[in-house]
Amino acid sequence: MNLTFTTEQEDFRNQVRQFVRDNLLNKGFKVESKGLIADSDVSFSKAMSEKGWIGFTWPKSHWGQGRSYVEKTIMNEELYRVQAPIGYHFLADRQVGPSLIHFGSDWQRSFFLPRIVTAEKGMMFCLLFSEPDAGSDLAGIATTARKDGDYYIINGQKVWSSEAHLADYGWLLAKTNLDAGVSAHNACSEFILDMNLPGVKVRPLINIAGEHSFNEVFLDNVRVHKDYLVGTEHNGFRQIMAQVDYERAGIERLMQNYPVYDQLFDYMKVKQFQTRKPELYAWAKDQLARLTVEFETGRLLCYYTAWMIDQGKKPTSQAALCKVFCTQYEQRLNDMAMRILGPMSMIRKNGSNAPLDVDVAACYLWQPSYTLQGGSVEILKNIVALRGLKLPRD
Amino acid sequence: MDFGFTAEQKMLRDSFRSFFSKECTTDQVLALWADPQGYSEKHWKKMAKLGWIGLAMDEAYGGSGYGFLDLFILFEELGRSQLPSPLFTTILSCMLIDLCGNNDQKQNFLESAINGRCILTMALLGEDGDPDFHSPKIEATIDENGQHRLTGKRWLVPFANSADAILVCADLVGHEGGPTLYCVDTQTEGISCTRVETLYGENSFHVEFDAVKVPESRIIGAIGAASDGVERILSRATILKCAEMVGGAQYVLDETLTHVKARHQFGRPLGVLQTVQHLCADMNTFCVSARLVACQAASRIDQNLSAEKEISIAKAWCGNAYKQMTWIAHQLFGAIGFTEEYFLHLYFKHAKACELQFGDASWHRARLAATMGL
Repeated sequence: MNLTFTTEQEDFRNQVRQFVRDNLLNKGFKVESKGLIADSDVSFSKAMSEKGWIGFTWPKSHWGQGRSYVEKTIMNEELYRVQAPIGYHFLADRQVGPSLIHFGSDWQRSFFLPRIVTAEKGMMFCLLFSEPDAGSDLAGIATTARKDGDYYIINGQKVWSSEAHLADYGWLLAKTNLDAGVSAHNACSEFILDMNLPGVKVRPLINIAGEHSFNEVFLDNVRVHKDYLVGTEHNGFRQIMAQVDYERAGIERLMQNYPVYDQLFDYMKVKQFQTRKPELYAWAKDQLARLTVEFETGRLLCYYTAWMIDQGKKPTSQAALCKVFCTQYEQRLNDMAMRILGPMSMIRKNGSNAPLDVDVAACYLWQPSYTLQGGSVEILKNIVALRGLKLPRD
Repeated sequence: MDFGFTAEQKMLRDSFRSFFSKECTTDQVLALWADPQGYSEKHWKKMAKLGWIGLAMDEAYGGSGYGFLDLFILFEELGRSQLPSPLFTTILSCMLIDLCGNNDQKQNFLESAINGRCILTMALLGEDGDPDFHSPKIEATIDENGQHRLTGKRWLVPFANSADAILVCADLVGHEGGPTLYCVDTQTEGISCTRVETLYGENSFHVEFDAVKVPESRIIGAIGAASDGVERILSRATILKCAEMVGGAQYVLDETLTHVKARHQFGRPLGVLQTVQHLCADMNTFCVSARLVACQAASRIDQNLSAEKEISIAKAWCGNAYKQMTWIAHQLFGAIGFTEEYFLHLYFKHAKACELQFGDASWHRARLAATMGL
């Protein structure tokens, strides 16, 4: 038991910090807070790739660096401090790569993995899981993939697909076994879908922060070659469940709004909060300390989850509870920030007299999504109870 | 970064747990709470023999030379068992003497404490129940024979009646500078202890010092120099208190899970109900996170790194987490949990007592804010 970082880990953290200074802060990059997936910037992804920081945790035998998840968490912590624009490779790195390493064919691995780790153009991915009638209950999807010779013909509708309007490929879940008697868990398959194929139509959905992040994706007789089926036919549901822990584990769930937290301190110190609102200072200070306690607790939960993965332990329950904790912290953060900052914090996009550099009102508006995406708080608590604590099923 | 325990630490934990679970039932705890002495001599002798009082003390004084993290595990298991004993107060007193005392004092007090022959306690709380050692309202004067004499009152002193010596800070009249630390022999004339009944059953006393004579040999450290040492030991005490909370919290979680799996209502176990499942998930999150923040601070202390911020985070979080867990547990156990014969109230009370000791969450948040420049 030693919950401090090793010298090597501290050195690595400093390397990432230096990289962030050289490639972003010293080049006039403006720190903003834009929801879960940061801005997409191929050149920044290229720079990271040159460092070996894409495919960082993938095994060396699969174009990766074989580094630990604890180190990856250190890296992400430093990147998320400034909301670095890692959107281009983020999903491919976190989800697509590990899934292909586990379940992909030789062709898929040798085609996609080297291109992902070098941040080659045309390698941005989105997820095509949720549907209008299948949200928390992913087994309820209706999109079908009917076999037709060497092809699958895909029909259906996907929704809440973040960045689908920018993505080159989609990671798709569709039903391949259409027999009514087969349970959904044995009927789905995973595909890599080229978003440029005929029949793929992406329609924007504007979220309540006024941003275009997620989309509806309509699939109308899209012909996908069987080489793009990932893993075993009909086994897609289990494959997703085996991978989803990695999605939930990350420190990005804690730090999507880190600039708000960070700038609140400056605001309290520099903008003479104490002099201007003496009657509220003790309260505001206490609230900020409360957020610090929660942030540091969430941070340890993230590192603990990463460490479990490094130990080869199954982090399902731990990752779920970690995400519950972290996303709820972020909601409290934005709410509390606006209460401390007062009515001027409603001013959007750094308008005149906005109290922080970051658009805190936008962060507040994003927050209902945090406790829903990647498994709602309620679903995740079910996972903790049933799989972690072994409580009985009904 | 390593979240696992070593094989040796696991063995240590097993030996603590097997002793406590053998020696300690709810009935015994209640009996010891009611007992004027407040602990069992038999337990004390055994713990001394097992080397636990001196677990993290230097081998030169009969200690076992283990580290702070091992001590953390001991107090985790103590918290789990709720066995009443002056272990906490004696060990912390030893640490204070070890830090501030001279060689003779260490030889004298540490060895006999570690061997179980002498019980030590600390009287650091002022009238409002907070440590006030920076300017204690205890006055020390030097009489015509050159003897130091202490006068004043201390509150909520654990095991004061069974202790052989009480560590207390006093302001020496006519001396500039900070408080001085005294190790007062409890047999000295002028000391009176009044037992107070509190929410938690541990033996607790108000202690009055009336011109109590203390020989110079019992001044621990230099005159006027007690503050730093006491502060340092209090920070360790805070984290060992967190360890107790973590141990208690884990036990409450374990027992609650057993209960909701076994207890049937409406023809099925309580644990199938989603409301119950989510409450259990919340308890689990509190428990896991409390252990992490406490271990983080303990790791830093173990490595002699600055830990002020981490200690405050740990105490602020653990105090609240453990307390809330006991609230949820009471809800899930129902009426049986509200009876004295059932185990749960020990932890409900322990959680509240721990929350208030060594600074509650608000106190630590204020300190944390200060460390961050607010």
